[in-house]
Amino acid sequence: MTEPPPQGHMYLYDSATPPLDDGSYRLTASTEVSYRGAQQGFSQQSYFTVVGPRFTVPQAMVATTYPPSNGHGAFQDGLAHIVLSRRTLPWERELDPGKRIPAPTIPPGAPPAPAPPVPWVALLVFEEGEYTMLRGIPLPQAVPADVFARLGSPANITCDAVEADADLVASILPSIEELQLLAHVRWVNVDDRELNTAGGDGYYAVVISNRLATPNAQCRAVLVSLEERSDLVQANPPPTAEPRPERVAPPAVDAQIVAEPVDVLPNPIFTLSQPPVHTFSPVIGTPVKYVAPARVRLIALTSWQFTCEGPGTFRELMQNLDVAMFGTVADVGHPPLSDTGHLQIELQDRAGASEAVWYRGPLVPYNLTRDPLGPYHSADQARRVTPETGAEDVSYAAAFEAGRLLAAADARFAQAIMRWRRESYKQSARASTIGALAERLTLGLPATLAETLHTPIPPIVGTAATQAVVQSAPPLADAYGLAKVRGATGMNPADLASAWQLGSAAEAANLLGADPGTLGAVVSAPAQTTREDTTLAEVAADTTGLDRLASARAQAVANAATTLGAAPPGPVTPQATTPGGA
Amino acid sequence: MRSASITNPAALAERMTAKEQVDASVPESTLPPYMEMFLAHLRVLIGVPFDYLVPDARLLPDESIRFFYVDRSWTDRLVDGAIAVGKIGTREQAHHQAHAADVQSQLDLTERVIRTLQRGLPAPADPDQSTARVLTGFLLRSAAVTGWPAMDVRAFSTIVPPFQGDPDSPAAAQWAADAAAAQLTTLRLELLSPSVLLAIFDGIPQLVWCEQPHHNVEFAVATNDEVSFFLDRHGAAGQIEPGAAVPVPVRAANGRVVAVAELRNRLAALTSPAVLPQTGSAAFAIELLDYPWRQRFEGIKSDRRVSSGAFVPKYQVASVITDPDLRTTITGLV
Repeated sequence: MTEPPPQGHMYLYDSATPPLDDGSYRLTASTEVSYRGAQQGFSQQSYFTVVGPRFTVPQAMVATTYPPSNGHGAFQDGLAHIVLSRRTLPWERELDPGKRIPAPTIPPGAPPAPAPPVPWVALLVFEEGEYTMLRGIPLPQAVPADVFARLGSPANITCDAVEADADLVASILPSIEELQLLAHVRWVNVDDRELNTAGGDGYYAVVISNRLATPNAQCRAVLVSLEERSDLVQANPPPTAEPRPERVAPPAVDAQIVAEPVDVLPNPIFTLSQPPVHTFSPVIGTPVKYVAPARVRLIALTSWQFTCEGPGTFRELMQNLDVAMFGTVADVGHPPLSDTGHLQIELQDRAGASEAVWYRGPLVPYNLTRDPLGPYHSADQARRVTPETGAEDVSYAAAFEAGRLLAAADARFAQAIMRWRRESYKQSARASTIGALAERLTLGLPATLAETLHTPIPPIVGTAATQAVVQSAPPLADAYGLAKVRGATGMNPADLASAWQLGSAAEAANLLGADPGTLGAVVSAPAQTTREDTTLAEVAADTTGLDRLASARAQAVANAATTLGAAPPGPVTPQATTPGGA
Repeated sequence: MRSASITNPAALAERMTAKEQVDASVPESTLPPYMEMFLAHLRVLIGVPFDYLVPDARLLPDESIRFFYVDRSWTDRLVDGAIAVGKIGTREQAHHQAHAADVQSQLDLTERVIRTLQRGLPAPADPDQSTARVLTGFLLRSAAVTGWPAMDVRAFSTIVPPFQGDPDSPAAAQWAADAAAAQLTTLRLELLSPSVLLAIFDGIPQLVWCEQPHHNVEFAVATNDEVSFFLDRHGAAGQIEPGAAVPVPVRAANGRVVAVAELRNRLAALTSPAVLPQTGSAAFAIELLDYPWRQRFEGIKSDRRVSSGAFVPKYQVASVITDPDLRTTITGLV
């Protein structure tokens, strides 16, 4: 069963055991190697200890208890139990590793005894006056000497212990079979419960007591360790008593108050007399020796107190709840609350003067529509004056400040919000840069460049520029302002033909020079040489291609020099490349 | 003090020259995950001081439960305030103004997965994309919260009737499926203190139930006189079978100690109603368990007023003004 139980279901198991019980272990690893027919054995030994709670159970492992700790209620009809969030805890140690307790005898007709393991803990309920709690005593004082020896004589252990009459303990303590019946594991659905570190997987071990508390008694439930306590734990349960037959509730008796006559003593009269003379006679008879009842001590792993009086069970508490919408007060006007749930509070304003204002928290008694005027940038924006009372409503301003303070207290949030802003600013700066670039240069940049934020710009612009150069596409930039000139009326063949009353626009174009290149028309690029994959040596041997490249480079350099107003450099001869030199 | 994240000069130089410090898979304009989670936590009031929620102790007396609606304007202001951290100029304001709508709609979705993530479960593959609903909830201050921690709390959009019948029948499965369909998502269920439980639901419930935690279901016996004890037997539908109560044997030495082994023997001998085969402590426990108490709160009423959230005073000061000009002025101001 690997799926957790569905809602409203619970799975129960007899026990849950860890793969290894607590204790010290020796790990032996051995190999057998045969080398040239001879067996060679190697072995390695190491030691490890599995440690679990043994003399005390930390409070963090106690998921919950019934009755609740320090609870008051009608708990006398329920068996106390403790819920442990460590599901294997009751079965982690062996109660009787030495098999000193004889096997139980099963009466005829009884179902077979539960299968091992046997828990090493038991929950005992004591009433006030029956027990003594001993806090932090050394372990040898908490258990008999032979038990201490069988426990391994651990040194320097202090623990809590409970001390009670031996007869009482014997009458309460479960037998082996009962111990098994009083502990089980539950797996519950945890979908609809509050977040809790203990028992987050829904598994719990439950240890039940077998004693019903007396009504109106103050009790203490103690989870005791029975490890090696073969002197106390019995193999077979003690004899049972037949419960009395079912009895109807006794008839109610009308209570009567009867005035009883009181003997009135006469006023005492004191008279002086001789003091009496006492004589002491020797003790007659044999003295009766007072024998204190034998007491036994048990290691108390954890304990809690409860009282069986008053209403206090889950059902009673939930049934008696005061149910209302938020903002309902028992005494109307205390606290001063408006119909809308606003509370009048005192506020120190900026001038330091005290001022009565209205405040309402996020929990309101009726459904409100959401304020569409957002976002607000300061708390002052959210302050409102109620015209009817003239007082200020600081609810939303208080919310704003609460959020600001909570965020300011979180360093990681500050980092995150700064990153959020920085990246947004970076994004807009980049988008405007790309926009400006696309406006000035006709490079055919990818349309999505402004959106693909992580693509670096320089390589893409460089590639586009190189492509434009190689394809001899329209001039990268209108370096000579030809585009503007071309827009002038005097340079337009059609307008010119009309102004000069020429026959056609083509005639005017001829007059203007008729050279398409002058007007920036597209010049077709020379055909590219298509090549197969070549070696470096072949490239070096292609002098025609290299010459063309060299002249193109020289022209580019000359153009740049002319633009910058410098003298053109001399012709550049391509350097001879040696194979493998690059 | 926080330790420096960069210690050696080479790493510092690398960081200073790196053009992109953000992982390439992160789109910048969305909220950084931590910021989104922080703001979504604020939406369900996580971290908000208790005095802000309950400004006067008399609003939540001992042994009381108070249902409420969550004022979304209030939580929006809380988020606005958080985003106002480090807002030093118009650049940040403009940025917030531009992104506020996106942030709000994103948080409306994120607030639904907080509890899932807090419980350590993976986020749902197909998250609920519907628009923001009304948030509701309750505050419970009771000894029941202290004594029975981790109670089951569920809210339903319709009144699910209590199921009466055989829990193994198809009708029971149908009932469970209907209940699950009507259940509202719990956005927050947390102890604010050992005795105060806060629950927030996504939607307006018609039924809320608080069930005794199953791991804490107790073992109870019936008694008339506190001397003899009986174990009530339940039929298949959970009802108590009259006349079938089993006398609980006690030890001879102590009349309030249940003879557990003998009780088990008696249970095993029963035929009507049939008991489970008594194989071990689990089968024994099932026969002894009391039924968990499920407290139902039905038909939560609001004032049926849907207000704009504006202040509605108790004292109608404006209505007593008789001068018509002044009244116009005041109405205009409002």
